[in-house]
Amino acid sequence: MKGNSRLRRLARFGSVAVLALLLAACAGQYPNTTFEPHSDLGRAIDFLWDRLLLLGTIVFVLVEAALLFVVFRYRRRPGNDVKPPQTHGNALLEVIWTLIPAFVLLFIAVPTVRTTFNTQAKVAAGALEIEVIGHQWWWEFRYPEFGITTANEIYLPTGRTVNFKLTSVDVIHSFWAPQLGGKRDVMANRTNYIWLTPDSTLQPSVWNGFCAEYCGASHARMRFRVFTVKPDQFASWVAGQQRPGIVGSAPVSPGAGAPPAGASPASVTGAATATMASNGAPGYTFPQNVPEFDYARPNGAIPDGLTFTKGLTGNAGRGQRVYSSAACIGCHAIAGNPMSVGVVGPNLTHFGSRSTIGAGSFPNTPAYLALWIKNSRAMKPGVLMPTLGKNEYDPHLKTRVTTGGLDDQQIADIVAYLMVLK
Amino acid sequence: MTAPAAHHYTSTGLDSRKIAIWAFIGSECMLFVSLISTYLIYKGRSLVGPFPHDVYTNPAGETFNPILNIPVTSASTFVLLMSSLAMVLALAAVQNKDLPKHTRGERVLGSSKLWLWMTALLGTTFLGFQAYEFTSFVHEGLSIRTNLFGSSFFTLTGFHGAHVTAGVIWLVTLLAIDYRRGLGPNDALNVDIAALYWHFVDVVWIVIFTVVYLLK
Amino acid sequence: MATTAVPTRGTHHTATAPSYQSGVWSWLATVDHKRIGILYLYTALTFFIIGGLEAVLIRAQLQGPNRELLSAEMYNQLFTMHGTTMIFLAIMPLSAAFFNFLIPLQIGARDVAFPRLNAFSYWVYLFGGIFITLPIFFQLAPNAGWFGYAPLTTREYSPGINIDFWVIGLQILGVSSLAAAFNFITTIINLRAPGMTLMRMPMFTWMSFVVQVLIVLAFPVITIALVFLLFDRFFGTNFYTIAQGADPLLWQHLFWIFGHPEVYILILPAFGLVSEVLPASSRKPLFGYPVMVYSGILIGALGFGVWAHHMFAVGMGAIADSVFAVSTLLIGIPTGVKIFNWIGTMAQGSIRFTSAALFAIGLVALFTIGGISGVMHASPPADLQQTDTYFVVAHFHYVLFGGSIMGIFAGIYHYFPKITGRLMDEPLGKIHFWLNFIAMNLTFFPMHFAGMLGMPRRIYTYDSGQGWDTFNLISSIGAYMLVVSTAIFVYNFFRSRKNGEVAGANPWDAGTLEWSIPSPPPEYNFATLPNVTSRYPLWEGNEKDMESARVNLQEGKTAEQLHIVLPYSTIKPLIVAGAMVIMFCGLITTKALIFVGAAVLVGSLYSWLLSPLEPEHH
Repeated sequence: MKGNSRLRRLARFGSVAVLALLLAACAGQYPNTTFEPHSDLGRAIDFLWDRLLLLGTIVFVLVEAALLFVVFRYRRRPGNDVKPPQTHGNALLEVIWTLIPAFVLLFIAVPTVRTTFNTQAKVAAGALEIEVIGHQWWWEFRYPEFGITTANEIYLPTGRTVNFKLTSVDVIHSFWAPQLGGKRDVMANRTNYIWLTPDSTLQPSVWNGFCAEYCGASHARMRFRVFTVKPDQFASWVAGQQRPGIVGSAPVSPGAGAPPAGASPASVTGAATATMASNGAPGYTFPQNVPEFDYARPNGAIPDGLTFTKGLTGNAGRGQRVYSSAACIGCHAIAGNPMSVGVVGPNLTHFGSRSTIGAGSFPNTPAYLALWIKNSRAMKPGVLMPTLGKNEYDPHLKTRVTTGGLDDQQIADIVAYLMVLK
Repeated sequence: MTAPAAHHYTSTGLDSRKIAIWAFIGSECMLFVSLISTYLIYKGRSLVGPFPHDVYTNPAGETFNPILNIPVTSASTFVLLMSSLAMVLALAAVQNKDLPKHTRGERVLGSSKLWLWMTALLGTTFLGFQAYEFTSFVHEGLSIRTNLFGSSFFTLTGFHGAHVTAGVIWLVTLLAIDYRRGLGPNDALNVDIAALYWHFVDVVWIVIFTVVYLLK
Repeated sequence: MATTAVPTRGTHHTATAPSYQSGVWSWLATVDHKRIGILYLYTALTFFIIGGLEAVLIRAQLQGPNRELLSAEMYNQLFTMHGTTMIFLAIMPLSAAFFNFLIPLQIGARDVAFPRLNAFSYWVYLFGGIFITLPIFFQLAPNAGWFGYAPLTTREYSPGINIDFWVIGLQILGVSSLAAAFNFITTIINLRAPGMTLMRMPMFTWMSFVVQVLIVLAFPVITIALVFLLFDRFFGTNFYTIAQGADPLLWQHLFWIFGHPEVYILILPAFGLVSEVLPASSRKPLFGYPVMVYSGILIGALGFGVWAHHMFAVGMGAIADSVFAVSTLLIGIPTGVKIFNWIGTMAQGSIRFTSAALFAIGLVALFTIGGISGVMHASPPADLQQTDTYFVVAHFHYVLFGGSIMGIFAGIYHYFPKITGRLMDEPLGKIHFWLNFIAMNLTFFPMHFAGMLGMPRRIYTYDSGQGWDTFNLISSIGAYMLVVSTAIFVYNFFRSRKNGEVAGANPWDAGTLEWSIPSPPPEYNFATLPNVTSRYPLWEGNEKDMESARVNLQEGKTAEQLHIVLPYSTIKPLIVAGAMVIMFCGLITTKALIFVGAAVLVGSLYSWLLSPLEPEHH
């Protein structure tokens, strides 16, 4: 009796603990949770998940209870040497426990097939098409409707269906923003689609996205951000993105955003005296440093030994000249800079408006950017972008950059240039 | 394999080697199924020619004719089919070694050496055809690196060719034993197993010939 | 009666057989299935520990966010090698250890059908295992995952030597598995003792048989996929070359047509072992034996029709997704039936909680969890949120650790006395079980949460603030505990081997044939081939069973005294295996090695095939 009630107490405690964990999983501290979908696709999946979890839990409890009951009830007592009844089976029981799983699985199969067809149906007319192009290890996003090319960040208007058209230029990747819906693989020689509609009730938010298919050295650092914004904010962002990236004259205060304390041996401050694009105010961009969306701000450390001269001030005009005569233009394009038409690397036209660098590896601040240009290969394993800083050690070539390297002043100028490209 | 002596007890009464060779052939089936499926998946997906059944003109204006030479390969297929017949006669000759032979015809039919030679020679002839085909393809501009067709074609037929080669070596080994001490009914199982393998390789070729050469 | 050594079929010829030898040479030249089984056991346990240490390093790196214990490159090598090692070098060969040791004993045979081929399989496995494992010590190990998705593995994206080791190593290991499978299929079909009908075979032998058929049909497919990759990397073919229009799904289809049956190749032997341990521990025959046989066959057969459920995210379309979803759900039925029948076996029994029984019960409890999460990602839309996340990592560790490894531990505790003649220490075994059970759940259960909370697989680092920190910390603590529990097992294993309690022929009072002969069994296994009249000859056999059991219990007789012909010891299989591996090494070193290896291979193979297996009969 007593043992029995203790068992019951234990069981109650156990179920409370599991519930608490589940509840906690729905709370705000889980920014990438799949339990809190914000799109039609996400909800369709979540509906299935709820059923799977419910049925799974029932099966789990019944089977484990039966197991525990049998194991305790039929344990060999000391001194008991009687041979138990030598039964070989029971046809009726076999039929019953063949039918039980079949029945349970039927309850799963029907909604599964229905949802499979619904979520892969032809996308509704008027959907916003976004081309997603996977690269080792960053994301290229194109909005053919608006003629925009960007990288590692997607802006989506809430309430409008978006159809992602997925291809890769190299290996297989997988496109996944957990809070918006499931993933879909991204590969060359095959075009995949996945469509979803961010809830129209959604407040402007940012979501983390990941590459989910192992794609080589920096698979872990192939992330992206999705900004779900109101339609008018989206329109403003589009208008801004459609403008070329040109350096004007209006001064902008020195950029903030030094690496977190202790993350870097040398703190790099205010690298740029930047100027704003001359042809009007930039379009809408999602505000940075909102505490609520702290999870979207990368917080990895800077590798040991990578430092930048303190107190340097960059000049955007000079930066554009350095940029346009350096290796940068071989890989990067900036609409408005006729020299810069490379297609291998991310399009930098509105680089200054982005929140991260290195595909979600570091915050996009002048301090991080300076280090990135100086030695991206030390900051992100395997990247194609060469180590550019003079006398920097290139971990791929296993030598120091001697000829053609950029000094810190030149890098500060490039930083200033890129940061004004809002 | 010289081994488990025939008089060991077995549950089926069959020699273990016979069961093993069937398991082996089952496995080989999956090997060729994978190769043939890949060939079919890549059929028509090559970006550049030469193609098996179609004319191809490259950007430089050179024209490549359809590369498969069906008459020649039909001949080699016939040769391989005949080798299976010879193999059947070779096995029969070994099994009936001890029967008395009176007429010249019986002596010819009963000569295991003759039919083993015949099988090996026909197999080698088939390989000769294949060598001719491969070299002429390379001359016509199709190598294993040229396109998806080249990769899947040469790998598939090359794998089959390697199987025929292994079979010929096996037959030559049996011939060597025949010359050294004579193959008799006691060796029938060894020859039977070689024959099973040989017929299997032959049947696989029929499938390959149909899929690669005849299906457009 | 024993001394007259009733001559039976198969023993009525006089011969001089080699007697049991000792020393290193006797192990290198052995063709005895029991010794080969022991070699498999030690080798696979060594690789199990190596694979485990790789996992511990992985967990140490992921213990917290943004840790820098390992470089990305090293991490990628470690997770690749952890998977490759555990699947091909630990679990499969641990199963092979049991196939080797047990199958002939369970069916009443003196050896496997082809003893020298059996030795060959082992040596190929050993050399292949060394070949694929050594590079990790030079940071040159394969780094594209155990699934090695092309085109990542092609020269263009993996120019180094790393993937070469993987392609060639797996090719070598495939030869070992295939050779062993032909051997065991033949053994089970053809060397069963008189009266050992198919439906009297012990469940372990049945499940092993299904596994061998799966190997025979599944391994050629991966062989071809690897040949394509090898040709692409070494000879410039285009099977996976994107620029030539290759289909990026070709590899995935071929790989998973092999890969899913492979999952059952890993789990069914453990199911078999548990089906031996539970009846022996409950003193009751296996419940629903025919249903257990059919469900095992059904699981194996359906296993070939579900491969694309690993590919629900690749965009196959709703029809293909649905077909594979339904076929996958169907597998849940025979699997559920197995679980129920194990519970049915224990019900009304008299369960003795030996360490083996605890591990077997642990399998039933933990595999159930893995089965349930498996059903969850059999649903394609749900799987879109689960695949390639830690949820899947949790799932397959419940199946492979909670299933295969628990089953194998049950088997080791159960059969240790048969193998060594001594019992493993029970108190230590129970500590091992409980620590292992708790640590296993601590390691893998939180991964369900991490995955559903958005953590992708195969990432060497993650930012803090993603909601994953706590779960990862718990997982890592669990992994460290697993090190302790495994250390206890290793200590117990070696201590008991020397000082364990002497077991006797049948310490568990079990009912199957292998317990009717001395522990460890004599070289010839059975002095007289047994007559079998029931599934549990020692429990429910009639006088015929008992008589052969009595004859076979005698100890101290040599094969010579009993006029039993045993095969010669020979080192030729080892040489052939070594030559084959040398030949493969030539691909990545100097081409001359290919010719040297091939020459030795052909020479030693002919020498092997043309030399007699055993002494002449007169």
